[in-house]
Amino acid sequence: MTQTITPTPGGTPDTTLPSPALQNDAPPANRWYSGRSTGQLLAMSGLALLVLFALLGPLLWTEHAVQDLSRFLEPPSLADPLGRDHLGRSVVARLAHATRLSLLLAVLGVVTALAAGTLAGIVAAWRGGWVDASLNAMSEALIALPAILVVLLFSAMANGELWTLYAGLALAQWVEYFRMVRARSSLVLAGPAVEAAGLLKLGRAHILRRHLWPELRPLLATMATFGIGSSILALSTLGFVGIGIRPPTPELGLMITEAFPYYNEAPWMSLAPVLVLTTTLIGLLGLRNKESRA
Amino acid sequence: MSMHLQHLIVSHSGQTLVNVSELQLEPGRPLTIVGESGSGKSLLAHAIMGTLPGSLTARGSLTADGTTYDLADPSNRRRLWGRVMSLLPQEPMLALDPTMRAQEQVAEGAATFGTDPGSARGRARGMLAALGLGGAARSFPHTLSGGMAQRVAFAAATIADAPMLIADEPSKGLDEAARADLAELLKRHLHGGGILLTITHDLDLARELGGDVLVMKEAEIIEQGPARRVLETPAHPYTRRLIAAEPAHWAHSWMRRPAGDETKPALITAEGLTKAFDGKTLFADLSLTVRAGERVAISGPSGCGKTTLGNVLLRLARPGSGQVHHAETLGGGRLQKLYQDPALSFPASVPLRDSFGDVIRRHQVPPSRLDELMDALRLAPALLTRQPGQVSGGELQRLAIIRTMLLEPALVFADEPTSRLDLITQEETIRCLMDQVGRQDCALLLVTHDKTLAGAVADRQLALTPEEAPRGTVTPREAVTAIA
Repeated sequence: MTQTITPTPGGTPDTTLPSPALQNDAPPANRWYSGRSTGQLLAMSGLALLVLFALLGPLLWTEHAVQDLSRFLEPPSLADPLGRDHLGRSVVARLAHATRLSLLLAVLGVVTALAAGTLAGIVAAWRGGWVDASLNAMSEALIALPAILVVLLFSAMANGELWTLYAGLALAQWVEYFRMVRARSSLVLAGPAVEAAGLLKLGRAHILRRHLWPELRPLLATMATFGIGSSILALSTLGFVGIGIRPPTPELGLMITEAFPYYNEAPWMSLAPVLVLTTTLIGLLGLRNKESRA
Repeated sequence: MSMHLQHLIVSHSGQTLVNVSELQLEPGRPLTIVGESGSGKSLLAHAIMGTLPGSLTARGSLTADGTTYDLADPSNRRRLWGRVMSLLPQEPMLALDPTMRAQEQVAEGAATFGTDPGSARGRARGMLAALGLGGAARSFPHTLSGGMAQRVAFAAATIADAPMLIADEPSKGLDEAARADLAELLKRHLHGGGILLTITHDLDLARELGGDVLVMKEAEIIEQGPARRVLETPAHPYTRRLIAAEPAHWAHSWMRRPAGDETKPALITAEGLTKAFDGKTLFADLSLTVRAGERVAISGPSGCGKTTLGNVLLRLARPGSGQVHHAETLGGGRLQKLYQDPALSFPASVPLRDSFGDVIRRHQVPPSRLDELMDALRLAPALLTRQPGQVSGGELQRLAIIRTMLLEPALVFADEPTSRLDLITQEETIRCLMDQVGRQDCALLLVTHDKTLAGAVADRQLALTPEEAPRGTVTPREAVTAIA
């Protein structure tokens, strides 16, 4: 069999160039870092550091709520790398706890939204009819509200309790997963490949695993990284305007607000949470592949 | 003016893909290059146009209008595009801009479009009217039929009066009537004193165009001469093989069979089927029985509802009215389908090995059966490590045949299984299919727009009348004709 080259501007090429991968059937080097750009590696290490800080920080600096007014705005030292705040609390301890809380809430919210949205989307696309119509109506009602408003309404309901923030985040976000998964799945399910699988009696598990999942996975991954970023921002926005998590629980946005009055005396106090937020967002954006950047 | 091509060599990392020492193109005398996919015939056209992909290198020279162009530099011919030479793309439906009305995209090609768009539009309107598309000038491409889109593309390619027209597989996906219209269009260009170079694997188109024919195989020209001589008394064994691969010339053992056995059990019984689509009746009050081991072809021009009828018979689509009954023997995956584009019938991003593995596990087929079939259909086992998009169309269609045969089907519905393949690949694919169908004594329902193919394969044919014909003429006894 000869490989052929038929370039056709304005048409579809008959066949493709013989690519090296086809000529030698050796398996490609399959290390986790292969095929990743420098930017992606940087983003990954930035995020890894952050996660490490969120996991180990609260263990190293346990006392985030202990006040000691005699240590008002103490500058950074070896024991307290970010000094003390206006109430004499350890800033690094508060930052570590706040980072852990933000990451945890955001990841939980996104995982819940992703699971619920994907499930609902696949069910809607598969079943059609009234199931599809009612799920779709529900999603449209939610999409008419700004996401931050949904989170805000929820947090206002129980006055900044953690579970309401989590529920608000998940509720605000499942809609986009639902709509994307529903649109993509209906296309795949209506295609000849799924029709053939039906005639071959391969069953629903096969269609999920071989047809839907490979098609949805890259999209979901991209959406999830965006979702985590926007959840963290939403949490800190609420904290910043003082209607998110209640003090004294440390939260990134809240820490920025609290540190603002002392910006001249202790700039590190407000810069530290900003740095955490920036690293998270840039890291998450940098993770994406070139393909999904379109 | 005439064109003269000398010492053209196209290569890709040391491998020669086209090697043509001389080619003379004269006004009014069409030149048609035939050959199977991969023979380098399309590359020849793109080397002349200067539209080769960057990874390929070309050498040689082209003389047009007294000027000589070095073919190694693809950019020096760019200013000739539209005014001296133009390309009629394959699959015009994909080449047209879906967001522009027909008249606008034709006018865009006119030389005066930049300075005087009004007159360019007028000219485009005139051209479309002359091509019988006066009413479609304001239409978007998706509302046009394949033949109409071809005519719009022709108008766009010729509006700037380029004397040289290169047509790259222009008849791909067209039925007989549309192909005759296409030949008429191309001849019209010739009568106006134009040069025509056609690349095709469709020998019927080459016959209709006449002029000279050039046969290419593995980068080289192996035979050339007047169309009549080359296509009727071929000298080279490869040309003979190419002509023998036309369904009209087939001589296979499975072709001549005794007439269908009326006593065999019916697999599909359909009664009073009616289907309308967008207010257009596709078929009305149609009844059909397919019996075990029978070979039935549904033929007709494109858009007449052949595939829809097939899907209704398989109960993949609902009829407007009427009933389809399946025998119990068709349950459990013993009713299978082959698709026009096999690449779309496999999960796209899964290696073929896994796709086959799923079928084998689910139906507890002995894995050795796959190896047996791969061997019987002359496919290398290494193909299974690839994804569907990395396998050529002919090979993938044979893999699709294997996938259906793993389940020992009682009936296979083949929906235009070879309409995108060249003649030799088509014959190979149909032979593999018929071998397996014969071996397993399974019934075959073939949908095709190619009447000779239908005649070669089927015991009996069901011809659907084209859309222009008066409605209600398709009644079972008239339409189903036994040809055996």
